[in-house]
Amino acid sequence: MSLIKLKNVSKIYRLGSQKIPALTDLSLVFDVGEFVVLAGPSGSGKTTALNLIGCLDRPTAGQVIIGDLDLQSASSRQLADFRLQHIGFIFQSYNLIPVLTAAENAEFTLMLQKVPKQIRRQRVSKLFAELGIDGLEGRRPADLSGGQQQRVAIARAMAAEPHVILADEPTANLDSHTAEELLELMRRLNREKGTTFIFSSHDDRVISQARRVIRLEDGHLAADITITA
Amino acid sequence: MDYLHLAWKNLWRNRRRTIITLTAIAFSIMLVQALHNLSAGVYAGMVDSGVRAGSGHIAIYQQHYLESRDEALYFKGHNLVTEIETIDGVKQVLPRLYIPALAQSSRESRGVVLIGVDPQRERQINPFLKTLSEESMIRSADSRDAVIGSRLLDELQIKQGQKFVITAQYHDGTLHSELLYVRGVVSSGMKNIDGSLIMVGHERAALLIGSSGSVHELAVMLSDPGREESIHRRITTLLGTHPDIEAVSWERAMPNLANAIKLDYASQKFIFLIILLIVTIGVINTLLMSVMERMREFGVILALGSKPMTLRGMIMLEALTLGLLAATVGSLLGSLATWYLVSVGIDLAALVPETLEFGGVVFDPVMRASWNPGWMLQIALYVVGLTLLAALYPAIKAGRITPVEGMRHH
Amino acid sequence: MLLTLAFRNLWRNRRRTLLTLSAMVVSAALLILALGVFSGMFKDMLASATEQYYGHLVIARPEYHLRRDLFAHLPADIADQLPLENEAEITGKSPRLRSFGLLSRPETSQPVELLGIIPRMEQQVTSLQHQLTAGHYPTEEEHNGALIGQGLARKMKVKPGDEMVFVTQAADGSIGNDLLIVSGIFATGDSRHDNNLVLAPLPWLQQVLVLPGRIHEVAMVVADPMTAAQIADRLTAALPENIEVLDWGDLLPEMREVIAAYDVSRMIVVTILYLATGLGILNTFFMSVMERTREFGILMAQGMRPWTIRGLVLLETLLLGGLALVIGLLCGAILTLYMQQIGIDLSGYITSVTYAGGTILPRLHAVFEAGNFLVPAGMLLLVSLFAGFLPANRAARLDPVVAVRDI
Repeated sequence: MSLIKLKNVSKIYRLGSQKIPALTDLSLVFDVGEFVVLAGPSGSGKTTALNLIGCLDRPTAGQVIIGDLDLQSASSRQLADFRLQHIGFIFQSYNLIPVLTAAENAEFTLMLQKVPKQIRRQRVSKLFAELGIDGLEGRRPADLSGGQQQRVAIARAMAAEPHVILADEPTANLDSHTAEELLELMRRLNREKGTTFIFSSHDDRVISQARRVIRLEDGHLAADITITA
Repeated sequence: MDYLHLAWKNLWRNRRRTIITLTAIAFSIMLVQALHNLSAGVYAGMVDSGVRAGSGHIAIYQQHYLESRDEALYFKGHNLVTEIETIDGVKQVLPRLYIPALAQSSRESRGVVLIGVDPQRERQINPFLKTLSEESMIRSADSRDAVIGSRLLDELQIKQGQKFVITAQYHDGTLHSELLYVRGVVSSGMKNIDGSLIMVGHERAALLIGSSGSVHELAVMLSDPGREESIHRRITTLLGTHPDIEAVSWERAMPNLANAIKLDYASQKFIFLIILLIVTIGVINTLLMSVMERMREFGVILALGSKPMTLRGMIMLEALTLGLLAATVGSLLGSLATWYLVSVGIDLAALVPETLEFGGVVFDPVMRASWNPGWMLQIALYVVGLTLLAALYPAIKAGRITPVEGMRHH
Repeated sequence: MLLTLAFRNLWRNRRRTLLTLSAMVVSAALLILALGVFSGMFKDMLASATEQYYGHLVIARPEYHLRRDLFAHLPADIADQLPLENEAEITGKSPRLRSFGLLSRPETSQPVELLGIIPRMEQQVTSLQHQLTAGHYPTEEEHNGALIGQGLARKMKVKPGDEMVFVTQAADGSIGNDLLIVSGIFATGDSRHDNNLVLAPLPWLQQVLVLPGRIHEVAMVVADPMTAAQIADRLTAALPENIEVLDWGDLLPEMREVIAAYDVSRMIVVTILYLATGLGILNTFFMSVMERTREFGILMAQGMRPWTIRGLVLLETLLLGGLALVIGLLCGAILTLYMQQIGIDLSGYITSVTYAGGTILPRLHAVFEAGNFLVPAGMLLLVSLFAGFLPANRAARLDPVVAVRDI
């Protein structure tokens, strides 16, 4: 079953009078439960593609369809709602809210969904246990290591039980051991919960873990390889 | 965790900045509340001494007397005195006659306005008579005793106990003279009063114009000035049977005093306005800074699926929290300052002349505040409103960014 | 070099600097406007007492101003006998005879103060000729023409050309009374003058009072009212003992004190307002210093001394203060000029108010006075310096190693 469809998508940024093409005529299909890596050097269009898939941005040309939502025709309110209900985000620099504790950060999307406090608590403490960060609920992001922060970020992305989790270079700021652990963790979540993971990365270790690797070069699709185990 | 909790935490992100801003807002609230209460107290004191010596809280005149001060516009008012005094809340009614006259001693003459009063009633109220001893008071309404201002006495070059002549126009247009004796001397400190005041019994004054039992003014003193409006209505009803007689408020009867207060209060309001304006600019500055440095975070919050309106709400809630906190602290400080100003006051004796006159009354050099909780609350809420207003632009700005733009900030 | 750096630093966060600047400008400009209007009120007040009645200086018998003694008179040519010629500041002098009495008509009588004057000379001292609402100023030829106040005219129900009888006690003890004819009616807005004052020819009053060739006082005006006291002191030394010269401050001690008290209350208002402004400046510079922590660390690591850093931050606040000062003074001057030229008429809302022996007219009208600009200007610079001091100290106390690490 196809979850996300990109049909002949182009994205052009404007910088003053200059036009910078970030993506050119990209067509892709993602199915439920996939574990995909968007690979390529920086500037190849990975982040732009993730932004489009994540409903954060609209294409200049072409069509992006996620589930039954067509990005072009949706209002920004609808997009926000859709993100809240169906998409989880993990960022390279974690982007936790510094004034909130780890648990509060993880609860954030649930709060936006108006989930009652009690249920939020339960769900987050279960997630913390699964992610191996139980006991850190009351800490502020500043008091956590990079790996711990990224686990909290994963908890935040998972808490609302989205269909897709988008991760933009999630391991770039982490040492190799921690990166390994996190990748293993995400694979487990993918296996056990069936959540679709779409990464961007230029890290070979990450790429080697993926079952499908989409390689981008200068905004073009260079390769789309599915590895059958 | 909920939105209020988040707002509270965000407020204390930059502790020093919040404290300075909070101090500025709270300080202004305190200042405005304390100054207002102080003025209200001073004005109340001015009104009290003004109405005692002047028209009372409510004054009753023959129609057109107030504008023209035409001494022919008198009315038979003595039966009204007791009638009005039966109204609940009325403390005293003072009948008065005002007669333009010439006062002469053997050496000098002065044009004056002779005031005919009910000596016993007047003495209980009028601050000029209150300080007089029993022997210095006019003995009866028709006696030849006069109470006279110290400067006028001096100008006429006579002394207590000596006689002088008063000449006024009889109702038929001829000039009539009467012999009076100086019984008491009033030294109020106001040049105006001390140089012009002459009081006699109202019957003696009425005889001068040949109209026994008539008055120009009934000054109605209330026991609680707050009930002025309802009592005014009752008096107007009571006067229904006398269509040519009207009851007016002290503001109309003593425009000098009312305007002095208005003018002073207006200039004070202008200062309040400047203070609040400056504080509002400060709050805009703080909130704008606080929003600008969190653009990246707002981008993340929007990416996570928050609607722009929710984000704006969060920022407004932050401002509301700041405003409410400042209003609470400011009002507490304002109450403290008011409490001090009510119980101790400010002694300006060293700064202003001992007998400074303002709007026709002596200005008490010890200024004391009075409590106006309703007004204090109003100004506190007003400042909360201003804080919200100040947050509007930063909030709108934050809600307008796209998640991608926001996350590009560093 | 340091100045250029300070100036550029100010414009790094344009929005923040402009907002802080606007708060400072607003407080300075509106304050200057308010002070100008207050000064305008005082000027009206002083003018109501001096230009409409007293003059700035009065020559009379000792204590005449206290008792208005009918018999404390002087020869009419006293002004010529006294050494006044060398006082170039005296721009006008008017000999006057004063009487109190009743002004009478068949239907009413009103108490009045009557001044016997020589029209040509009185017009040099008081300005009633510019405040006529009907008729004309009495001329020398009209032997009994009178100028009366509007309120009095209304009570007496008279118009120019009408007759009135003035009744008073003459110097010989007889009741003097004689006919006056209304020449003109004036309105000053000061109820005490409008309801009470009558001007009549000096010879006429001398005749009524049986005081031929005598006057009570010589009222004089000087170019600058604030120098009246000094001139009075100089004149007193030259005058015989049984004659004294008083300035308006002696005649109206309460007004003199109110004007002195105004200087104090001006300081208080300015201080209060600038405390609020100062907190805004403090906030801005704290923020600006905090976000430059790393930069200061680098400067210090390169060998810049703490005192130079402190100086830099102080220079920034002073620059901002100076800029606010220039714009604020300019805006304040424009607002004051507007209020001086046009002003706001309040006569629809309030009537005139008596205060400290003078009258505040129902109008908002500003005057230029140096103190109204100097006090806010000085305070603004002082507040900028104070508000810059804490952040400057904070910047100077940074440890370069820690500061550079800070992001």
